[in-house]
Amino acid sequence: MSRTRAWTLRLAGIATFLLLWEILGRILGEALFAPVSAVVAGFPATVRGYKLFAELAGSFRQLVLGYFLGCAVGVIVGTAMGRSRLLDGLLQPWVSMMFVTSVASLVPLFIITFGFGLAFRVAIVFIATVWYVLLVTYHGARDVNPELMQTARSFAASRVQTFTMVLLPALYPYILAGMRIGLAHAIRAMVIAEMYVIVGFGGVIYNSGVEISTVSLLGALATIMVVGVVLTEALKWLGRRTAPWYDERQQLSN
Amino acid sequence: MWKSRSSFALYPVSIVLGLLAWEAVAAFVPKGLLAPPSAVLGRLATMTADGSLPRALAGSVQHMIVGYLLAVAAAIPIGILIGRNAPVATAVEPVLNAIYAIPPVALVPFFIIWFGMYFEGRVALVFAMCFFEILINVLQGARNVDRGLVDAARSLEASGLALWRLVVIPAALPFIFTGLRVGIGRAVNAMITAELFFVAVNLGQMLKTRSNAFDTASAFAIILFISLFGLACQEGMRLIERRAIPWHRGSET
Repeated sequence: MSRTRAWTLRLAGIATFLLLWEILGRILGEALFAPVSAVVAGFPATVRGYKLFAELAGSFRQLVLGYFLGCAVGVIVGTAMGRSRLLDGLLQPWVSMMFVTSVASLVPLFIITFGFGLAFRVAIVFIATVWYVLLVTYHGARDVNPELMQTARSFAASRVQTFTMVLLPALYPYILAGMRIGLAHAIRAMVIAEMYVIVGFGGVIYNSGVEISTVSLLGALATIMVVGVVLTEALKWLGRRTAPWYDERQQLSN
Repeated sequence: MWKSRSSFALYPVSIVLGLLAWEAVAAFVPKGLLAPPSAVLGRLATMTADGSLPRALAGSVQHMIVGYLLAVAAAIPIGILIGRNAPVATAVEPVLNAIYAIPPVALVPFFIIWFGMYFEGRVALVFAMCFFEILINVLQGARNVDRGLVDAARSLEASGLALWRLVVIPAALPFIFTGLRVGIGRAVNAMITAELFFVAVNLGQMLKTRSNAFDTASAFAIILFISLFGLACQEGMRLIERRAIPWHRGSET
């Protein structure tokens, strides 16, 4: 399929989706499902009324903290587990257990431990990110070409040197893929935590949800959707740009 | 999820060491913030023995099963139909990505408007959390059916229906099973999420009440119980998968 044809099809898909949204919205009415035209027209009022962008920026500051903390720990522990049989065996049962644990179920417990503030939201985002990054990095670290490791050893590279000069570059595409998957979960976790205690952007979603009209609610949802898509695409772009072999690896790690 | 076999022997050691480390940390943390594992496991045992956890689970699984089955019933045919049609797959891809980027919990206000605060609302959230996860796997599977296989079947003049029954579906089955397995994990997740974000009932209510009373040991025990249930569901699905498609071994990840 040629590029132009693919893009025509994608645009047609988006146009069809918007058209269906409009028709459905007109039939159901604003109280049940506002049409896209009403959401766009009402968006400036939504932004003003809910301080939408200010809340979004505030929420993202906390998200970034928890997210990068999760990425860092995930990469380090994932690499260690992938390269050491002992650590692998010692940590696996706990990691598998945490991996299936619902982030939402941890919210009430985390409130007791961390309160309602910054630490709580950072902790929830951290815990939602770390296992995905860890898992993808782990699989990458297990598959690192043994010849690379032997070469490093025969040049008497230290552990730190081997990590920064051999492992990290080899794992780079995996780490980016893990960060991409982790990001989706980080955003979800942020919304879960914030809707539960009604603060930040999640609070906006909660509060706009109890209005009679769904215009503001849909505006908020569309905003978080655009942010998620843009950040995900940015990570993909970064991967393709800085590691041309990324696309192939990305599919493997999905 | 994990492939290595050699490290199985370390599992008991890992669990014992982990519990000891947790117990030691809990002893240093101000009282009540982090329950020690001895207290958590004790609560888990009593709450299981007195029937309160199993009873709550029996209530919780109802909306989980209904939502999951609805998601499976919708996602498999839609995924195969889209995946087998390249232009349609290309056209819907950006829209699917966009909808997937919306956190499912953010849809709760909508579900409350449309389906109410109770059972139907919870089913809707379970459906929403499972549907896309299963759809994406099935779609990928249907897309990746080996062209050579399809061409070979065509050259043997396999009719439309036979082509589907004998080639497309078997080739897509591993992906469908991956979708079912990932989906059941999401369903357990959604089960408790729904009970915390709609009117609190069953396990969600227990978790909320115990947390509000600062009873971290019980709260931990309830979370552990749900996680164990989630692991059991996924392992059960893996077992079914091995029985149903024994020729496929690459589906472990």
